[in-house]
Amino acid sequence: MKYLIIAVKILMVCSLLVARRSALGSRATSHGPREKLPYVYTEWKHFTVNTGLPNDHVFAIKADGPKVWVGTENGLACIDKRTGKIKSWKEKDGLPWRVVSALDVNPKTGELWVGLFGGGLARFSGGRFDHWHQLNSGLVNDVVYGVAIENDNVWAATTAGASRYNTVTGEWTIYTEKNSPMEEIWNYGVSYDAGKVYLGIWGSGVLEFDVATETWKDYLDPDGEMEIDLYRDDGIVHVISTGTSYIDGILWVSTYFGMNRYDGRHWRGFYEHETGLPSDFGNAVKGRSANEAWFATDKGLGVLADFPSDTWVTYTMDPNTHRGKAVVSQNQKVLEAIDMPKSIPHNYALWVEIDGNDVWVGTSKGVGWGIGPGYYKGLKDRAVYKAKIVKIKAEN
Amino acid sequence: MKRYMILLSAALVLGALSCAGPEETKTEGLESSVSAGRLSADVDPETLEVLRKINSVSAYEVPDLGLREDEVYAKTAQDVEPFRHVTPFKEHFLLQIEYTGPGRAIPEPIDVETVKLGFIGPIMSTVSVATGGKSHEETLGIKMLQGVRLAIEEANVRGGYLKRNIPFELAISNDNGLWGASGNEIIKLAYKDKVWVILGTIDGANSHIAIRVALKAEIVMMNSGDTDPTFIETNIPWVFRCISDDRQQGYLLVDYLYRKLGLKRVGVIRGSNRYGRFGVREILDGSRRLGNPIVLEMAYDLGIQDFSLQLERLKRENLEAIVHWGDAVEGAQILNQMRAMGMKQPYFASDRCLSDEFIGIAGANAEGVICSSPWNPKGKNKRLTEFRKAFRKRFGEEPETFAAHAYDGMNMLIWAVQVAGLNRAKIRDVLAYRVRPFNGVTGDIMLSSCLDDVGDVYLAKRKKGKWNFYSREELKIPRGYIPRRDRVSRPPAKL
Repeated sequence: MKYLIIAVKILMVCSLLVARRSALGSRATSHGPREKLPYVYTEWKHFTVNTGLPNDHVFAIKADGPKVWVGTENGLACIDKRTGKIKSWKEKDGLPWRVVSALDVNPKTGELWVGLFGGGLARFSGGRFDHWHQLNSGLVNDVVYGVAIENDNVWAATTAGASRYNTVTGEWTIYTEKNSPMEEIWNYGVSYDAGKVYLGIWGSGVLEFDVATETWKDYLDPDGEMEIDLYRDDGIVHVISTGTSYIDGILWVSTYFGMNRYDGRHWRGFYEHETGLPSDFGNAVKGRSANEAWFATDKGLGVLADFPSDTWVTYTMDPNTHRGKAVVSQNQKVLEAIDMPKSIPHNYALWVEIDGNDVWVGTSKGVGWGIGPGYYKGLKDRAVYKAKIVKIKAEN
Repeated sequence: MKRYMILLSAALVLGALSCAGPEETKTEGLESSVSAGRLSADVDPETLEVLRKINSVSAYEVPDLGLREDEVYAKTAQDVEPFRHVTPFKEHFLLQIEYTGPGRAIPEPIDVETVKLGFIGPIMSTVSVATGGKSHEETLGIKMLQGVRLAIEEANVRGGYLKRNIPFELAISNDNGLWGASGNEIIKLAYKDKVWVILGTIDGANSHIAIRVALKAEIVMMNSGDTDPTFIETNIPWVFRCISDDRQQGYLLVDYLYRKLGLKRVGVIRGSNRYGRFGVREILDGSRRLGNPIVLEMAYDLGIQDFSLQLERLKRENLEAIVHWGDAVEGAQILNQMRAMGMKQPYFASDRCLSDEFIGIAGANAEGVICSSPWNPKGKNKRLTEFRKAFRKRFGEEPETFAAHAYDGMNMLIWAVQVAGLNRAKIRDVLAYRVRPFNGVTGDIMLSSCLDDVGDVYLAKRKKGKWNFYSREELKIPRGYIPRRDRVSRPPAKL
């Protein structure tokens, strides 16, 4: 009996050790040389229909304190970060339309603004949904792709122009080709920061709206051709823009043909074949600083972790083992390839949200929460997990 | 002791769970049909291989289907390429775009009584942004709907969706409204009507709105009537087109005007809508790149009757030919007013003037007019003969461009549904990776890497009261040199 007890104890201690090593991921075994490297998210949690999401096809995420709002193809959800519990709303619960394509929170009031894909715009406050659509308001179209709060205004990027709703006065303003330099009116994304609203427009590049002066500026692909990008850094890489993110005076842009960074004077284009981008098909972008941006693509998550040194972290999920992989590369050389138990829940990434030290990723198969208590900006001297100086393409 | 035995059991269970692989959702459906020899449509061996691969992946895997590569985008001759003296940093649309989402793993639903197929087109008169007033494309949209109806009715006569022996059902939406209306309609078709595929749209602006929705809703959108070149230049893996576009028609016309006829001074008059604006782009660019820039381009607001302002200015330019890009009514009115003003230049027009409406207004002036055409409606084609007969029997009238291409497009979709089953991603796959041309009534349809029909286009000449259709070869129209080179994997241009 005594020996059996000892054997059981040994077995349990071994199990715990194995489990701990697995939870820490491969980093626990890192013994490589030290180099200047970016932070890599190795701890991930997934949320899917199995854990309470109303639908796995995630179009938008908005973090707001302990709450993380999730817009899906069939319902709205709220994840409580502290407990991991999920509450959801479908049409039967008052959500005006099933497909939630955009989210933003008014920091003054805490109200959640919900862009509905074919259902207009909704405000969720005090447990009640208020609904605006093209027949009862100045919303220019019910197919809403993006929502952004600018001061007391709510912007909605719709398939037939942009609408701006003043929540104090109730006044609506519509922007189309009639009163703005929209070559096409097919708005895709909208973002606001530091007095400027940026619209990502399908077929019309990016439009900048200066809130103070109410003036517009347009950014188009200078070569004017759909089938080529003549010079990489001459402007936006393509006019089919999908997302914008303005932070620290830097504009980040995603398109279906590559990505961009603009510092007000210089443009820089990013393509898959020469960076850590997993794909040129960019569904969304979120800038974290002037030097860090997260790109959600159809083949994974590409993070430009440090712009000056061209250092990238590419997150993917192994479709067979479902384990995660993060590849750190610099100027097309792989510096580090980290295998981990989990990463993003699916390689078709549709949205990114920065939440303090954490990140949230919306994919076609659920939400991934990257937990980063030790997150640091830029590069830091740390041990290399596995130095492998090979070309990205050669490795692939 | 009992407590330790429980702990031991729990540890073993946990160990077993940790050793287990990730959950796999392998799809079922047509693979069983294939193995059982119950395939319900003509399937070539290459498509069978596509089926084998797409039916064996989980929601997380992307099947290796071999991406289509084009050496040259849209068969563009070297001397009409944009910025041809500079190697572009990046060339798009040469490599087929993949669908990498989880849609292939969605199982085929059991509880369907019909297989719904969507149609969206201008079929009811309404307000049009393009005209600033009454809409104008219903005549084309109704023809398109007729072609779709005929294809579905014939499929139902053959047994409908053969795997289940249930009929196909047509769900119809009108898109001839204000910009943006088509987006709402696609959402209705995709989420409320729950159609499996959608065919439609003519207006370029409505088409772009529709395909953006189709991309997010993940549903195949087949276009049979929008010849705007930019329609397909959007990198959307869900979008197909079964009609040759204005780029192809423009290239042929440019070659005819300059390489064949040796003209130097050509003018353009076009509608101020998207069809006119984007339709003439390749003519404008091609003319300039071949050293004969268009002398004058005049646009007109849709719905006007008097074109004297535009024509007087064109007349002053001593032009050798005039090209019109716009609808049939305006095309005929412009031609009549040109002739009345003594302008005797050859008159070239886009395929929309290949219509009874144009002839009815232009009358004798139509003699000698040359139009581009995305197909040869008088070609020797048994399928076309049978289609004409069936169309006349069903609708009591002749089919034209929009009816014929819609008929082909819907037949392509029906084939894909029969082969792939009721799964939107797989329907896309069998169409996107089909390596053999689709034998349609409009000719053989072979899709490019960006899923566009870049088949032969024609010139139609009006002679002795009839349209005669000629291929490039029949008219001995020289073609610019198209270099064969691997552009997909070439090193990037230096910065």
